[in-house]
Amino acid sequence: MTEMFSTLFGQNEAQGPPGSSSLGFGPGKPPPPLPQNQVSMTGQMPPQLGDEGPALRKPGAMNEPFYLLRELPVGNELTGNTNLITHYNLEHAYNKFCGKKVKEKLSNFLPELPGMIDCPGTQEGSSLRSLIDKPPVCGNSFNPLTGALLTGFRLHTGPLPEQYRLMHIQPPKKKSKHKHKHHRPQDPLPQETPSDTDPKKKKKKRDDDPDRKKKKKDKKKKKNRHSPDHPGLAGSQPNSNSLR
Amino acid sequence: MAEKFDNLEEHLEKFIENIRQLGIIVSDFQPSSQAGLNQKLNFMISGLQDIEKCRQQLHEINVPLEVFEYIDQGRNPQLYTKECLERALARNEQVKGKIDTMTKFKSLLISELGKVFPEEMVKYKAIHGEDAPS
Repeated sequence: MTEMFSTLFGQNEAQGPPGSSSLGFGPGKPPPPLPQNQVSMTGQMPPQLGDEGPALRKPGAMNEPFYLLRELPVGNELTGNTNLITHYNLEHAYNKFCGKKVKEKLSNFLPELPGMIDCPGTQEGSSLRSLIDKPPVCGNSFNPLTGALLTGFRLHTGPLPEQYRLMHIQPPKKKSKHKHKHHRPQDPLPQETPSDTDPKKKKKKRDDDPDRKKKKKDKKKKKNRHSPDHPGLAGSQPNSNSLR
Repeated sequence: MAEKFDNLEEHLEKFIENIRQLGIIVSDFQPSSQAGLNQKLNFMISGLQDIEKCRQQLHEINVPLEVFEYIDQGRNPQLYTKECLERALARNEQVKGKIDTMTKFKSLLISELGKVFPEEMVKYKAIHGEDAPS
């Protein structure tokens, strides 16, 4: 066993460094003995080119039973041991994209863009890749068209042939919940309506409105006749509270 | 940084809207719409000038080529971001697993070597200090 250890760590003083090929992963036979003067040079050898490992220990720090001992990696080095998403503050992005299902189609990403954008760009020759493969001629400045140049854009009257009407064809949009969502912020709702169930309740209230108004009017008339106080506000408060 | 993108986005939206209106005029062209068409054409040119100006502000922005492939295939480019993040996390976990395993292996090896070669391991620990069996 001691022989094995000396093979691994080079216990024998006479044994010099066997070269880069036997860094503990060689065929297992002990390295050939080298002359004494070569042993003294082991620590002075510059690190070999292409050796990506950490530097060998300095000759002073070199301990006798061991050679080819390397410096341990620095502890504070950024490695895969740390959660790199947290390290680079990407949790928000991770939760945003991986927490929920991202819709597959391009039209979901660019809903305002007109035309059929979900079709592969390579089919109609409008791919971004083709912009890289065949970059457009740049360098010329854009100048507005003068009267003479605009004569080239005089068009024939009448509708376009069928095959060129792609511009107006929109992908069929599902009547989804998004529509409701879009409407909500636009509606000038009062600030005191935080819950989602409010619109329903409001509807009910609106539906009952004519009857209620009549009853209220009658009550008001009666009360105004009989009492000097104005109970209208007090009567309306529970209703507003019930909405909340 | 965000202002640059907002600026470009605004110009692009204006440009697209102008092109859309141009398409509507052209799709059923009437002689009376010639003036409007000419105006839209010049709007298009000024729109291109505006976008050209934005180019100078966005020189240092790098876009991965894979994103273009997603867009060319009619796919949502956010899927690229999602897959990138998932891949990064998976690789991160793999590497962490390897590091943990190697750390365990190292401490086990050192403890076992200490049993068989106690003297040598004392010397070894003297060189590497307390961090040796970590």
